[in-house]
Amino acid sequence: MSRLVRWEWLRRYGALLRVAWLQDLQYRASIVLWLLWGVTEPAVALGIWWAIAADGPVQGYARADFARYFFALMLVNQLTIAWDSWYLDSWIREGELNFRLARPIHPAHEAVAENIAYKARTAGMILVVWLIVAAAWPAVRLPFGAGQWALAAAAVLLAAAMRFFISFATGLLAFWTTRATAIMELHAGISLFLSGRLAPLALLPPAVARVAGFFWFPYMLAFPVDLLTGAVHGAAVVQGFVGQAVWLAVWVGAYRLTWTRGLRRYGAVGG
Amino acid sequence: MMFRVPTAAFRVLRALWRINVAEELQYRANFVASLLGTLFWIVTALLTLAVFFRHTTRLGDWDYWEVVVLLGVFNTLTGVIEAVLRPGIGRLAGEVKSGGLDLVLAKPVDAQGFVSFRRLDVWRFTDVVLGLTLAGYALYRLGRVPSFVQLAAFALALAAAVVVVYALWVALMSLAFWFVSVENLSVLFDALYEGARYPVSAYPGVLRFVFVYLIPIAWTTTIPASALTGRLEPGFALVAAAVAGVVFALTRLLWRSALKRYSGASG
Repeated sequence: MSRLVRWEWLRRYGALLRVAWLQDLQYRASIVLWLLWGVTEPAVALGIWWAIAADGPVQGYARADFARYFFALMLVNQLTIAWDSWYLDSWIREGELNFRLARPIHPAHEAVAENIAYKARTAGMILVVWLIVAAAWPAVRLPFGAGQWALAAAAVLLAAAMRFFISFATGLLAFWTTRATAIMELHAGISLFLSGRLAPLALLPPAVARVAGFFWFPYMLAFPVDLLTGAVHGAAVVQGFVGQAVWLAVWVGAYRLTWTRGLRRYGAVGG
Repeated sequence: MMFRVPTAAFRVLRALWRINVAEELQYRANFVASLLGTLFWIVTALLTLAVFFRHTTRLGDWDYWEVVVLLGVFNTLTGVIEAVLRPGIGRLAGEVKSGGLDLVLAKPVDAQGFVSFRRLDVWRFTDVVLGLTLAGYALYRLGRVPSFVQLAAFALALAAAVVVVYALWVALMSLAFWFVSVENLSVLFDALYEGARYPVSAYPGVLRFVFVYLIPIAWTTTIPASALTGRLEPGFALVAAAVAGVVFALTRLLWRSALKRYSGASG
């Protein structure tokens, strides 16, 4: 890529990000409510595990470990969550995709910019709250290590990319079915267990945890969360990154397939 | 008078619901979708409990099947919420913003009643049936046969729970009159209601206080389930009914002062 082209892309993304940021600013109260909704599930799960761990550690997880795990989960979930299926579903059904296709830039870039703006704002809020809580409550303080945090950041980025492509590809199913968002909710229901939203994977029945390892779910949340809290080491880190890379590639492939096939079909309907 | 019997209102509601039901009957596939959705939710909730109970025998001093009774009550209330409240009063925030509420206020009926009960998603009533079935099955597994008095207490506590849930919706949606730009206020309810999935005794002390006295979530699931399993004196259902009455009166007052702030589409 020549420097001119690169500069052009920076300029485009700058414009898209500015628009997305200002749009979110307009709906900032709504965004706070979505954020609140997003953190209740881990907060309730933490409350229950807190009660269960009252008599002592649960398979090595003491109360403080649960607190750290679920605080990290709130942050990582907010940083990686992708609502794109719901947007695509309504764009496709209501024809709002048309003008986006007419633009000289792929609609996915607009979606990426929206994700970045939304996550910067909401994850920033979670971080501030976390810092305040951590000042009063040592249990949720993370061990500091620059290298570990850099690795966690990389894992979060890969997880965010993967969840974006999962959401985008599934949303594109709206070209064929009216229940694309229902499929996404099914996915969310399964990921409650297999991605570690309900409990650290070690606390699931061993057979279930093993099955989870064959899918992309642990790489969406559990792996970056464990990296952030310092629960994985050595070979498991390498294995986690390999898993993330493989599943990201698979989902990028799924996205390309649904996009090209879907557009061909869409043209047929609209033409 | 605040409490006259509004016969005209009932006639209006009956007419609205008849049209609604006729409309919904055209989309029978929605019935299957709704049923599958509910079954999926119940299975997810039971598996969630199974994960917790792998590591404990009691949750807030409730054993597994007692918590399943509570899940049944939760699902029953979810049915009422999804069938009546979300399609009705759940749309209020958007209407306050767009000025669509003008059309409601222009009608010669009680605005709160009309907004609340104007629409029924009949298929979601299957959640009520499935929820009660689940509660009944869990009771059977507990090996407890509730006495007639306990059943009556449960019925009263459940009715009180419906009133409390309704009052929560009215209170939250009334916020739309102050925060006009917030269209997703119903999300706030979903966030709160998440706390009702488990007995309040499972939560730390502060949260328990909040759920009993400030945001009366405890009265929605914990109390009816306790009445059914015999954890509570049947007479306590009368307290639940009193709480429901107070909460309802308070939200009625809130609704009235909220409505005064509404300036319409032209404002």
